[in-house]
Amino acid sequence: MTNRVDRRVLLRALVVLVASAAAFFVLTALGTPALAAGTDTAVTHAVASSGEAAAHATQAGTTITAEAAAPAKPGDNRVVQQLVNGLVFGLLLALASVGLSLIYGTTGLSNFAHGEQVSLGALLCFFFTTPQPVSLPLLPFEFSIGLPLIPAAIAAIAVSAGTGWLQDKFLWSPLRRRRVSIVQQMIVSIGLSLAMLNFIQWWFGAERQRLTTSIDERIDMGMFSIGISTLWSVAISLLCLGGVAYFLMRTRTGRATRAVSDNPALASASGIRVDKVVRLVWIMATGLAAVGGILLALYDNAAAFDVGARLLLLMFAAVTLGGLGHPFGALVGSLVIGVAVEMSTLWVGTDLKYAVALAILILVLLVRPQGILGRPERVG
Amino acid sequence: MDLLLDSINELFAPATAAFALAAIGLNFHFGLTGLLNMGHAGFMLLGMYGYAISTSRGAPIWLALVIAIVVAALFGLLLGWPTLKLRGDYLAIATISAAELVRYLGRSNTLQSLTGGSTGIRGNDFKFTFEELSPFPDENITFLFWTRHGSLSSSWWLVLVAWIAVALFALLYWQLARSPWGRVLKGIREDEDAVRALGKNVYSYKMQALVLGGVIGALGGVLWALGGSVQPDSMGRPTTFWIWTLLLLGGAATVLGPIVGSMIFWMSLVLIKGLASAFIPSSVLSPVEIEPFSLVLVGVTLMCLVIFRPQGILGNKRELAFND
Repeated sequence: MTNRVDRRVLLRALVVLVASAAAFFVLTALGTPALAAGTDTAVTHAVASSGEAAAHATQAGTTITAEAAAPAKPGDNRVVQQLVNGLVFGLLLALASVGLSLIYGTTGLSNFAHGEQVSLGALLCFFFTTPQPVSLPLLPFEFSIGLPLIPAAIAAIAVSAGTGWLQDKFLWSPLRRRRVSIVQQMIVSIGLSLAMLNFIQWWFGAERQRLTTSIDERIDMGMFSIGISTLWSVAISLLCLGGVAYFLMRTRTGRATRAVSDNPALASASGIRVDKVVRLVWIMATGLAAVGGILLALYDNAAAFDVGARLLLLMFAAVTLGGLGHPFGALVGSLVIGVAVEMSTLWVGTDLKYAVALAILILVLLVRPQGILGRPERVG
Repeated sequence: MDLLLDSINELFAPATAAFALAAIGLNFHFGLTGLLNMGHAGFMLLGMYGYAISTSRGAPIWLALVIAIVVAALFGLLLGWPTLKLRGDYLAIATISAAELVRYLGRSNTLQSLTGGSTGIRGNDFKFTFEELSPFPDENITFLFWTRHGSLSSSWWLVLVAWIAVALFALLYWQLARSPWGRVLKGIREDEDAVRALGKNVYSYKMQALVLGGVIGALGGVLWALGGSVQPDSMGRPTTFWIWTLLLLGGAATVLGPIVGSMIFWMSLVLIKGLASAFIPSSVLSPVEIEPFSLVLVGVTLMCLVIFRPQGILGNKRELAFND
C-alpha cells in the first residue's frame, strides 16, 4: 500500500463533484435565476475549502465579505467570528464523536444510536435542573427536581454513562458472544436509535427545552465576541479531551484500549481482557456524548429530542474524515467539520450548513476512505 | 369493531402499497445483492420531486413518470459509481448521507421556488393528471364497509393502480430472481470474490441492482405522494428505517416478504395506536404520546427481528444477506 492517492479515484471524485454541482446549478437556475450563480460557486467553494485546510476558506472568505457582507457590529469581523464559532462547535462535536470513534475502533461497530446518547445527555440535564414539574414515562404523577446546573449535569452524565454500561452488558456483549455479524449489529443499533429517539420524544416532548434561563454575557475580543459560558464550555471540553488523550497514551488501561483497537485477537492472546476494555469504552463513550450534549445544549441555548439525530451524520463525517477508529482523528475531523459547517453559512443559507458536512463526508469516502490520520487499508 | 375495520382498511391503503413497492426496491438491493442501502428514502423523495415538479410545470403523466425514473436512475448511478467498491458499512454511511443531502437541498430556501422549501409541494399542484384518468365516478363510494372517494387523493383509483403496480413489480422480482441475472446477484451476496473469479463484472451487476431498486423506490415515492403531498421531512431517515423494518419483518429475499411486511407493519401501527388509546388511561399515556410510543415498538421490533429472526416471517435462513 502506498500513500499516494490513486489517480483514478481522484478523477472519479472530481467527476461526481462536477456532476452534482452541475445538477445543483441547473436546479437553482430553474428555481431562482437571479441567485443561481452565487450559490453554486458558494457550494463548490465551501466543499473545496474543507478538503484542504481552513486557511483556504478564510482566504476565500475575506474576499467575499469585503464585497458583500457587512459586519454586524463595528469591530466584529464576520469571517473571524464564524471561524471562532466553528472551532467552538468543532470542539463540542469532538466530545461526542470521540466516543463514536472509540466504539468503532474497539468493536468495529458503526453505532447509529450514538446521536441519541447526545440528546439523552442534554435532556437528562434538563430533567434534573428544570424547576418545572417533570414526570417519568408511564408514571401518572409529576414532581420537580430543580437541582442547580452543575450537579444536574453531573447526574445526567452519570446516568448516561450508566446507560452505556447497561447497553453493553445486556445488548452488545451478548451479541458479540453470539458472534452476530457486524452488519447485523449495525442494523440493531439503527433499531435502537429509532426506539431511543421516540422514547426521548415520549419522555420530554417535542419542544425545545432550555437548560438555563440566564442570558449569556458576551465579551468583545476585538475581532470577535464570545460568550462567557461558551468559554467555560471550551475549557471543559478541552479538559475532557485532554483527559481522554492522557488516558489513551499514558495509562495502562488506555494502552490496552489502543491494543484492542489495533488487533482484538492479539490483544486477547496477550492477556488483555477485551470484554472489560470494551465495557469501559462504552461507559466512556456514552458519558462523553452526554458531556457533549449538555455543552451543545448550553451553546445553542436549548435542546430538542432530535438534536443528536441531526448531529449523528456530522459525527460520522468527522470520524470518517479523521480516520475511522482513530481517537485523535475524531478530534481533527470534528474541528474541520465544525469550521466548515460554520464558515459555510457565509455563502450558503443556514439551512444548508449541515448539507455541507455531508458533502464533505461523501467526498472523503471517494478520495480517502481511511481518513486523514487513518492507515491505508483495503476498505472495498 | 371500528378499530378492526380501520386496521383492515390499512391493509390495502395506498400508503401500504407505496411502502410495499419501496420495499420491493430495497429487496433488490439488500435481499438479492446484499447492498446496505440506508438511503432508500432519498430515492423515494427524488421520485416524488421528479414527478411533482414536472407535472406542476405542465408535463403529461407519462413524461412525469419518465422524469421520476430518470432522476432516480441518475442518482443511483452517481451514488453507486464511487461507493459500490467500498465495504458494506461505508456504503451505508455514504447512502444515508446522500439521502439526507437530498432532503436538506429539497427543504432549503435556495430551491424554494422549485421544491417549495420545507413545506413541500401541495397535492393539488400535481395530482390532477393522475386523477383525471380515473374511470371511477367523482364521488364517495362505499365498498363493503369502507368509504373512499372514487378518484381524489387516496381514492379507490389510487388503491387499484398502486396494488397493480406492486403486483407487477413483485412479479418482476420473482422472474428476475430466478433468471441467470438474479443468480449472479445472489452469488455476489454470498461471496463476491467467487463471482469475480468466475469472470463476472461484480461492479456492473451491483450497479444494475442499485439503479433498478432505486427506480422502484422512486415509483413507491410517487405512489406515496399521490396519496398526500410532497413533504421532504416525511422522507427522512426514519422512513428508510421503517422500510428496513418491514422488509426484514416480511422476509428479505422473498417475493411476498415486502408486501406481507408492509401490510403487517401498517396494520399493527393502527392497531397499537387504537388499542393504546382505548385501553391505556390517558393519565398514563396521553394522546400525543401514543405516536412515539408505537414508534418505540417499531425500533424494538427491528432490533429483535435482526437478533432473533433475521430471515423474517417468510424468509429462508439459508438466504441471508448478513455477511461481512
